[in-house]
Formats: sequence, C-alpha cells, structure tokens
Amino acid sequence: MASEVKKIGAKGYILPALVVAATFITIYTVTVIIPDMKVMKVDPTKYAMEYIEKDTNGKPIIDETGKPKLSEAGRGRAVYVREGCVYCHSQFVRPQDRDFGSRVHAGDYANETPNVLGTSRTGPDLSNEGGKMPDAWHVGHLIDPRAYTPGSIMPSFSFLSEEDMGDLVAYLQSLGRKRLEDPKNKGVYEAYYPEADTAFWQKSEHHKPNVDSATAANGGAGIFRQNCAVCHGTNGLGNGPNALAMNKKPANFSRPFFKAYSDKTWYYKVAEGVPGTRMPRWKLILEPEQMWYLVAYLKTLPQDQEVIIQDYQSIDDKAWEGQSILPNKLRASYQKLGEAKLHGTYQANPGGLTGSETEGGSSGGH
Amino acid sequence: MINNKFLSSQEGSSAKYFMLSAIVWLVIGMGLGLLGALEFSFPDLTKGISQLSFTHIRPAHVNMVAFGWLSMANIGSCLYIIPALCKTKLFSEKLANFACHVWNLVIGLGCWSLMNGYTEGREYAELREPFDILVLVGLLLLSYNLFRTVLNRQVEKLYVSVWYIMGAFFWMPLVYIVGNRTFVAMDGLNDGILNWFYGHNILGLWFTVLGVGIAYYMVPKMSGKPIWSHSLSMLGFWTIAFFYAPTGTHHLLQSPVPEWAKALAVIFSAALVIPVITVLTNFWMSMKGSWWMLSTNMPLRFVLTGALFYLFTCIQGPFQATRGINWYIHFTQWVVGHAHAALLGTFTFFVIGSLYYGLQRLTGKRIYSVRLVKWHYWLLFLGFSIFYLTLTVAGLQQSAGWALGYPVGQWSLTLPPMWFSRAVGGLMMFFSSCLFAFNIYKTLTAKQSSSDESELDMAVPVGKGGN
Ligand code: HEC
Ligand code: HEC
Ligand code: HEM
Ligand code: HEM
Repeated sequence: MASEVKKIGAKGYILPALVVAATFITIYTVTVIIPDMKVMKVDPTKYAMEYIEKDTNGKPIIDETGKPKLSEAGRGRAVYVREGCVYCHSQFVRPQDRDFGSRVHAGDYANETPNVLGTSRTGPDLSNEGGKMPDAWHVGHLIDPRAYTPGSIMPSFSFLSEEDMGDLVAYLQSLGRKRLEDPKNKGVYEAYYPEADTAFWQKSEHHKPNVDSATAANGGAGIFRQNCAVCHGTNGLGNGPNALAMNKKPANFSRPFFKAYSDKTWYYKVAEGVPGTRMPRWKLILEPEQMWYLVAYLKTLPQDQEVIIQDYQSIDDKAWEGQSILPNKLRASYQKLGEAKLHGTYQANPGGLTGSETEGGSSGGH
Repeated sequence: MINNKFLSSQEGSSAKYFMLSAIVWLVIGMGLGLLGALEFSFPDLTKGISQLSFTHIRPAHVNMVAFGWLSMANIGSCLYIIPALCKTKLFSEKLANFACHVWNLVIGLGCWSLMNGYTEGREYAELREPFDILVLVGLLLLSYNLFRTVLNRQVEKLYVSVWYIMGAFFWMPLVYIVGNRTFVAMDGLNDGILNWFYGHNILGLWFTVLGVGIAYYMVPKMSGKPIWSHSLSMLGFWTIAFFYAPTGTHHLLQSPVPEWAKALAVIFSAALVIPVITVLTNFWMSMKGSWWMLSTNMPLRFVLTGALFYLFTCIQGPFQATRGINWYIHFTQWVVGHAHAALLGTFTFFVIGSLYYGLQRLTGKRIYSVRLVKWHYWLLFLGFSIFYLTLTVAGLQQSAGWALGYPVGQWSLTLPPMWFSRAVGGLMMFFSSCLFAFNIYKTLTAKQSSSDESELDMAVPVGKGGN
C-alpha cells in the first residue's frame, strides 16, 4: 500500500535541527577547543614531569614502536592508569587541604595524558607523595595495606608483577618530587593553618626566639627529649618506646618531606597536635616560647634520605643514659600547669614555674 | 534461517531484544556493583585475583550499567515509542537487531577486557579502541534508523518525546566521538576538561534526554490523561539543549583548570533548574486528580518514583555545583550518592516502568506475576533509599574530615558501618533485579500468567490500543 503513505519529511523542522546543531558546536568550541588552542594553552612549568627517557642531548629516545621510550616512572604511570588508582586517589591539592604539600598549577600537568586528576578521594591525595615514604614501605603497603595502616580499605595489589610493582613505586616517588626538591620551595609549605586565628598567632609572637639559631635548636633538643622522645624517639625517628603500641605511629622527622615545612606549619602542628592520634595539643601544656624552641630543633631533623628505623627504642634505662629527662618534680608541676590552663585558672607567672625555668634546665638559659 | 533468527525483521523484535538484553546486563552489572560495595567492607575479599580487584570491578560496573543496562533499555523503549508516535513501522528492524548484537558484543567483551585492565583510563570512557568503534557503529546505525522512521511518519506534528529522543540520537554520537581517546586525545589538563565534557554530556545529552523523553510518553499513556502543557515541555527541551553542554567543568571545580571555564560551568549549572522544574511541573500537573492510580498501577508507580528522585537529584545538582558547596562535598561519597540518585533512582525507575509497559505489548503476553512486580518495586525502592541515605551521610562524614584536616586514616575508621549498610541496600537491589529478570523470563516462557485477569488489569495494565 505504498501509494497511501504520505511523505511528510522534515518540513518545518529544519530550522530547529540547525539550531540544535549550531548550539552544540558552539559550546564544544568554547569549552573544549578554545582551552586547547595555542594561545590559551598553558606552558609547562618547571615542575612538569616528563615520563620519557632522553639521550645525552636531551632528545627523547624513540623505541622500536616509534614512540618515545618511557622511563621507569613513566611505565609506572601506565600501571597506575591500568590499575585504576584514580578511582580512590586524586592528584591535585586544594588551598584548604591540610597536610598535602605544595599546591599545583595547570602547567605542572602539561606533558601528561590521560589525566589522573581524579574526582574521588576515598584515600589521600597523591600529588606530593614522592619522598614521603621509603620504597620498601610502598611495596609493603601495596601488597598488604592493612599491615601498614590498620583499618585501611585500600585493595591489596599483591597480584602485580615484580616489574610493575617497581615501576609503580618509581612513579609514586616521582609525584611532586620536583616541587619538593626545589630550594625555592623550602619553607613555603602551603599547609592549611588558620591564618585568620589572629589571637593564636598574636600569642605565638610573644617572646618568639630566633628559630634559625643554633642555640635555639639546642634548647629545643632538650625540651624535645623531655616531652617528645617517648613517642618520637630520642633522635626524632619516630621510634620511641611508646610508639611500639600505637596504631598511628609518631612521625619520623628524618623524612625529606619535612624539609618543606615552614616555621609556622611546624609551630601549628606542635601547638594543635594531630587530631585523632596520640599527638597531644601542646599549647595546653607548653608556652609559645618553648614551642618555638622545639620548632628550631625540629627544623634541623629532616635529611636527604629517610633514616629507616630498625626497632623501637628500649625503655631500658641504659638506652636513655645521658639524655636529660624531666625530673619528677617538674613533671608534676607541668601537669598542674596544664590543668590550670584547661580550667582557665592559669596565671602568667604562677610562682616561678614558668617556661623559662624549664628552658634554663635544658638549654642553659638564653 | 539463521538470518531470520538473528536479524529478524518482525515488527517490534529489535525493541524486544534490546529490552531483554538490558535486563541481563542489569543483573550482572548490579552484581558487580554489589561486589564492589562488599569490598569496601571486606577489603581482602578477593585478594590476589586481579580481575575482581575493586579497581577493575568499578569500571566494569559503571560501563555495564550505564551502557549495557540503561542505554540499551532506553534504546529498546525508543525503538518502541518512536514507531508508535509516528504511526509507522521502524525503518529497518534488521538494522536495529544488528545494532543490538553489536552492542551486546561490546558490553560482554568490553567489560571483560576492563576487568583485565585493558582500559583507556578516562572515567566513563574506559573502553578501548576496538570497542569504541563498535559502540559508534551501533549508535550511528540506530540514529540513522530512527531518523528515517521519523521521516516516514504518518502524523504531522512531532510529540515532545520525539524531540527529546531525536535530540539524544543526534548528540550522543558526537559526544561519543569527541569524548574517547580513540578519536580525540589532548594533553595535560585539557584532557581532564575533555574527559568531563564527555562525562557530563553522556549524562545530560543522552541519559537525561532519553529518560525524560520516555517518561513524557509513559506518564500520559499510563495515566490515560494528556500532558499538562506542551509549551512547557518544549521550553524544557530547549533549555536542556542550551544549558546542559557547557557544564562539564563543574566536575573539576577545584582543580587548576581556567577560572573562566569554571565560572561558565557554575552559571549554566544553576540555569539547569529550569528544565528540571518544567519537566516535573508537567508530570505532576498531568497527574492532578489521578494520583490514586499509584496505589494500583505498578509501571506508573515506577515512573513517578523516578520523578521523585529526579527532584532530589536536581536539587542536589545545582547546589553542589556552586563553589561553596562543592568546596565541601567534592571528592566524597556524597557525589556517588548523587550519581546513583540520577542513574539508578531516576532513570532506572523510569525505564523499568517503560519495560513493564512495553514488554507486555511487544510480546503480547501478560506479566507472569503481579506479586513479583510488587516485590521488585519495594525491594528496589527501599534498597535504594538505604543506599542513597547511607552514601549521603558517609559523604558528609568524609567532608567533615577533609574540612578539619584530619588524616584520612582517622576519619575513614568511622565509615565501616556506612560501607556495610550500603552493601545491604545493594543486596536488596540486586535481589530485586533477579526477581525482575525471573518474572520476565517466566512471562516469556510460561503459557499464562499466574495472576488473574482483573488483578493484572489493575496492577500492570496493557493500556488501551492505538495512540
Ligand atoms: C578503594 C580505594 C583505593 C584504591 C583503589 C587505591 N587506594 Fe591507595 N589508599 C586508599 C586509602 C583509604 C588509603 C589511606 C589508608 C592507607 O594508608 O592505606 C590509601 C593510601 C595510599 C597511599 C599512602 C598515602 C600516604 O601518604 O599515606 C599510597 C601511596 C597509595 N594509597 C597508593 C595507591 C596506588 C598506587 C593505588 C593503585 C594501584 C591505590 N593506592 C589504590 C584507598 C585506595
Ligand atoms: C604520645 C605520643 C607523642 C608525644 C609525647 C609527642 N608526639 Fe608528636 N606525634 C605523635 C603521633 C602519633 C603523631 C602522628 C603522626 C602522623 O600523623 O602520622 C605525631 C605527629 C607529630 C607532628 C606532625 C608530623 C606531621 O606529619 O606533620 C609533629 C610536628 C610532632 N608530632 C611534634 C611533636 C613534638 C614537638 C612533641 C613534643 C613536644 C611531640 N610531638 C610529642 C605522637 C606523639
Ligand atoms: C546493586 C546495586 C548497585 C550497587 C551496590 C552499586 C555500587 C557501586 C559502587 C560501590 C560504586 C563505586 C563507588 C566509588 O567509586 O566509590 C559505584 C559507582 C557507580 N555506579 Fe553503581 N551500584 C549499583 C547499581 C548501579 C546502577 C543500576 C547504576 C546506573 C544505572 C549505577 C551507576 C554507577 C555509576 C555512574 C557509578 C560511578 C559513580 C561516580 O563516579 O561518582 N550503579 N556503584
Ligand atoms: C540538574 C542539574 C544537575 C547539576 C547542576 C548537577 C551537578 C553535578 C555536579 C556539580 C557534580 C560533581 C560533583 C563533584 O564531583 O563535586 C555531579 C556529579 C554527577 N552527576 Fe550531576 N547534576 C545534575 C543532574 C544530574 C543528572 C540528571 C544526572 C544523570 C543523568 C547526573 C549524574 C551525575 C553523575 C553520574 C555524577 C558523578 C560524576 C563522577 O563520576 O564523579 N547529574 N553533578
């Protein structure tokens, strides 16, 4: 009955169809093509990674398939993409993120594709992961995350071949490495601390010593041994005897990562503690001046290679010989001082038991 | 013979095959989702088996439910709706059946390859080159087929559903081409921008447009009342066409992409309130005086529950696209909750209603068991409610952790009850889908329905004939 079939066709609908098409193309041009055009494209920054191998002239080496040869970390990047780490880990730091290192800029990613920015953070951000942990930690953590971070829900990647594992760890160590190693970035660690809390910072300025001086560092070392060594160890390696029984281990300050901390970041961390861990809020106990001495000391601890601890320090007296530990009498007074502060009955100079006396004990005055 | 079986030219066969394939992928895809959810509670569940590791399950889940289930169920519905609205036959059943086989191949092999780590690495565009090409072949064939059908139509004016569906079949091939690394690759952050141009537009210019188009057909059909306002429905169409596409960058609102691109995305995201309100106003006003039907009519109940979740999704959407709120909830399970509220809560509910309605007419058989349909509804609805609520709360817990600067290892210790209750919700939904599949299987194979005629007419009516 073909003859009965009327042909109505597109009559009257051509214009709407054209509008729909034109709109789409315009939007695509504006939102995708333009950002990718030469004029708009951001140049690589000096932190941009190149995951390819170069010959001595700085030219990329071409492999058999005609593509640039990937470096170890470059192959690791491919493993990272293949294994889908991006579903749980992002790779950009936001201004409000505390603890994740320097912020990133568009050009830092210029040479990478596909993007691994990520939209979900079931785990921590990894943009500045390089240098935070030793290789051995990464391998162990990837194979059995729960042995290293109790309660972690990161899947185990025990099925990775040895080669893939090595590449992946090399990639993790490359992340943010250039930012970390840039001397310019020393001390400009953009961590999150409440600048706006003026009362806090004003108070901190009171009697602030010169934190770059050796004397201040010396003074800090004494305070550190008295207050911190039980957890962080006598040399700040995170291996104090207390650490043995802790889920969240105390920080090991020899990590190169800590080089990037600014004075204020150190100060803030000591004063506020680490929420949810055993690390106390020392501002309830110590004077600002004492905490600055600690900062002066802590600054000297980070090294180029993390010192890997073999064992926890013993509580055997011999191990602590020669370390001046706070006399019992003073410790009791500290407790009182802390309580007084907690209950709001603290006075600036309660009968000679102020910070300066303690420092006198440990650093020989100033 | 084989030609006839695999490339049938029987009227309605392609719609039927698309719908039935979709149901199979739904069951498998939800099973994968459930396994993924369980791995949050028991992280060592599949330790050592690379195919079943969470990171391999997840893309397989997303691709299977998004392309295997939702897309194929939607396409099946379109292959039924378009000829019905145009009062003509589908241009070529053979061609559509061929596309169906191509897509099934892609979903099966593609998701298996994803589980083996063969991935492009861009979210929602994980499928590799060979599959991309096949997907595109299927899509273009379908677009051609449907456009030719519309050109052959026997009615002068195009009902709004046709606008939506034609729009989707115009946009989707384009979006697919630009979004996949097979066809377009960029460097650095532009790759991210492109990723989310694509990621957002398969949601906005494909799932949303198809889903709303189908619901625009189903609501008046199932309730027997005309759509409340045709001009409002057209306003909805044009605002989607103008406002949806530029919003992709709202997924990258805090990354270092250009600020102007973010600003553009935020403004258009806020404007998206308009199409949403027009669609919902239209559905609800059409139902005025007929709400009692929800107590008996199951397919209608599915569609309108979908509309309720559409409201939730699209209140959430524009708010979380503003910088202040995105600052807080980005990166957390809140977003995963929103994603499921959209694709599962809204569009899965829409299309399930449409499948119950369409399959009865396409096969000429009454649904096997009304009781199972009711179980399906309640398990899915309650399971999803648990799932959605849990993820929203988990998201707020995570946000609080980020905002206060707590270490991840600390706040994540508070989440296990949430992971567990999500898995419970997932189990209920998975089970409901099994019931759904069983019911449909029985409908096709059993001689007659186990429920009696009057019950069937109340609960899953075939509707009056004609259009
Ligand atoms: C299911 C989500 C998930 C996936 C997938 C995942 N991770 Fe994790 N990851 C986590 C969580 C949660 C933590 C925090 C607890 C811990 O340290 O295990 C974490 C921690 C880490 C850390 C330690 C970060 C730090 O500074 O403390 C590294 C490194 C890491 N993951 C690398 C990877 C790599 C590489 C992959 C892919 C092969 C991966 N993760 C896949 C969830 C995940
Ligand atoms: C009760 C044990 C304990 C004591 C005492 C202690 N800490 Fe800690 N400290 C911890 C723990 C646990 C952490 C958390 C490590 C982490 O978050 O990975 C930590 C973390 C830190 C950090 C932050 C490291 C980072 O990753 O940013 C600093 C700084 C610090 N401690 C300094 C000190 C100082 C200075 C003292 C002495 C005044 C001290 N701690 C005393 C247990 C302790
Ligand atoms: C049994 C039911 C389901 C369960 C248990 C489930 C579970 C999950 C899980 C665990 C994830 C990973 C979340 C993460 O990365 O943190 C996920 C992601 C996702 N699922 Fe499901 N899912 C189910 C059904 C569905 C259905 C039916 C659809 C769509 C039609 C769907 C669409 C998605 C999408 C789009 C994502 C990606 C979300 C994002 O990136 O934000 N899911 N699902
Ligand atoms: C009405 C307007 C809507 C707006 C303004 C909106 C906005 C947003 C925003 C801003 C995000 C990113 C959140 C973040 O990562 O911080 C998001 C995620 C998401 N939206 Fe919507 N949304 C809307 C409706 C929808 C609809 C209708 C759908 C489904 C078709 C949908 C599906 C998704 C999915 C799947 C994600 C997760 C993407 C991912 O994997 O990260 N949204 N939405």
